[in-house]
Amino acid sequence: MSDEQNLFGRQLPLTRGPANSSSRPAIVLNGQRRQCQRCHQWLLPTDQLPNQAWYCRQCLQLGRLTSQDKLYTIPEPNRFDPVGVPILTWPGKLSPMQGTAATAILNLTRRKRDQLLWAVTGAGKTEIVYPALAWALAQNWRVAWVSPRVDVCLELAPRLQAAFHHVPQTLRHGKQTTPYRYCQLTLCTTHQLLRFHAAFDWIIVDEVDAFPLATSPLLQTAIMTAQKPTGSHLYLTATPGEQMQRQVHQKKLAVTYLPLRYHGVLLPQIAVCLIWRWRERLAKGKLAAKLVRQLQAYQQRGQRFLLFVPHVVDLKPIAQALQQAGVTGGMTVHAGDNDRAAKVQAMRDHTIPFLITTTILERGVTFPDIAVVVLGGDDPVFSTAALVQIAGRVGRHQNFPTGEVTVYCHSQSRRIRLAQGMISQLNRQGKRLGGRYK
Amino acid sequence: MTHCLLCHQVLHPQMTLTQFWRWQPLPVPVVCQRCEQQFERITEMHCPQCGRQQTNMTVCHDCERWGEQNLRNHAVYTYNDAMKAYMQQYKFQGDYALRQVMREPLRQALAQQTYDVLVPIPVNQETWQTRGFNQVTGWLQNQPFHQALLVTIDHKDQPQSAKTRQQRLRTQQPFSLAPNAATVLKNKRVLLLDDVYTTGRTLRHATAQIYLGGAKAVTSLTLAR
Repeated sequence: MSDEQNLFGRQLPLTRGPANSSSRPAIVLNGQRRQCQRCHQWLLPTDQLPNQAWYCRQCLQLGRLTSQDKLYTIPEPNRFDPVGVPILTWPGKLSPMQGTAATAILNLTRRKRDQLLWAVTGAGKTEIVYPALAWALAQNWRVAWVSPRVDVCLELAPRLQAAFHHVPQTLRHGKQTTPYRYCQLTLCTTHQLLRFHAAFDWIIVDEVDAFPLATSPLLQTAIMTAQKPTGSHLYLTATPGEQMQRQVHQKKLAVTYLPLRYHGVLLPQIAVCLIWRWRERLAKGKLAAKLVRQLQAYQQRGQRFLLFVPHVVDLKPIAQALQQAGVTGGMTVHAGDNDRAAKVQAMRDHTIPFLITTTILERGVTFPDIAVVVLGGDDPVFSTAALVQIAGRVGRHQNFPTGEVTVYCHSQSRRIRLAQGMISQLNRQGKRLGGRYK
Repeated sequence: MTHCLLCHQVLHPQMTLTQFWRWQPLPVPVVCQRCEQQFERITEMHCPQCGRQQTNMTVCHDCERWGEQNLRNHAVYTYNDAMKAYMQQYKFQGDYALRQVMREPLRQALAQQTYDVLVPIPVNQETWQTRGFNQVTGWLQNQPFHQALLVTIDHKDQPQSAKTRQQRLRTQQPFSLAPNAATVLKNKRVLLLDDVYTTGRTLRHATAQIYLGGAKAVTSLTLAR
């Protein structure tokens, strides 16, 4: 690959760029303050080095930028080989409701509108986007499919590879060493978008409300800078945040709803169970009898389940207390766990009966027949969106479309009530489309 | 609201009663307790030559191999995973703000040493240009130091940290004395300051040069061993 292709629509700090590239300083004095031109964040007055250069701490993970550096770029020329036909090699078929949503998205994409696909958990969001994506690729658009979660990208890569077999694709994330490739379809984490500048005609943001994108202005601007001024984007989520819902109300964002799962069964509602001062009891090594009885019943009838707990430090005492109560055979998993992938795989392979987990398994995982229990659902780590996503782990499979979601907490919280409200609102809409309870 | 420099969690500094009665400005923490505990302090039980953490206080195997070339080094922390990660971000990624993490521990360690002149190990000109700072002097706050050493030969076709032990041991003397060094060093007790003690090659080269400058005694302090 030539140096030129490497720079199409990108912004990279180089010592010398190719002849037709343009460059701009990496850090710019804007009024009294300095601004990083890669991540568009402001530098602090303390971010100066002893050799008088300034450096940006915000995007340091992508390699340090100092005021001595320059960012090189070549405007995106969309120089791709014509894609082989058929573009879409996905053998599956969309359900009638998915088809309607897919057409709506395709029409909005044609009009280059910024849009949101608000589809319930387990609606088949990825497949709904396929027709619009195939159209975009046929138009010679450069497209990025991004997500704040690397797990989502890794899971998606083989699916997109199979669905668009003749389209050259590349996967970019932080923990990889393979060199960059200029492709029409780029699949990457949102952080990687910082290396692009006005490159994409269309950006699809999967799980747009997930951490860290939702709370990071850096990543939100990254999407805007990576998109061409003439480009547009599509957000995919089951639980848009308040800000995004406001944009929908203000008509700044076109929205396509899909309130019903592909199998047509409504979402399971969250059941709340109060257990008084469970933390104090846990400190003594005991769990509430109600919870233990429920989990024992699950084990007896061979029902597999996920037990969500608020913090990593809670994993061990809860696992021990369950062991004592005779609920055995499970494993604990959290974000810093080295065997995380292996344990999730073991759960998929039915080799273990349950997993005790923190919020990391709240989205992006599918187990066919599963019950979900949340302990300490009133803890602030369980946001409304997190609770809806957790409840959405249940009943995703055609053959097992129902299941139980139980939240145990010390006291009722606003977040739990809002989550229940969101689920019943979606269910009301779903019922109008012919959704059923069983 | 401030955040931990290493893990970006919100800091919740807690005031002790002693601090309250002292009626002085509160020390501002820069890292959270959990990150701080990841660094392992070296206890009294260490090798008298290189300062390595041991279960006894005899000279360690590596130092015996050096034979006659004695050294008196102290180290503050062991070079464990947390310290490696810290060095990676501070030194190689160039996050200068992380100097604040080690300022206070190093100030305490320096206060326990007896010396007249503090000499930090220099970085070569090229590193200074690209990195933009000397990682050792970054840790110093108001302690006076004298840059008595210069890097003369740029043999750095590859950095020290990328070499094997054998390659490192073969390294030629890279330092020379600064022009006015002799007047400052004459009959003084000198403390050399470096970031990591790995084989001891760098510090032994530096020690030899400082003795040539007329120093009475040379000891050294490193952040990690």
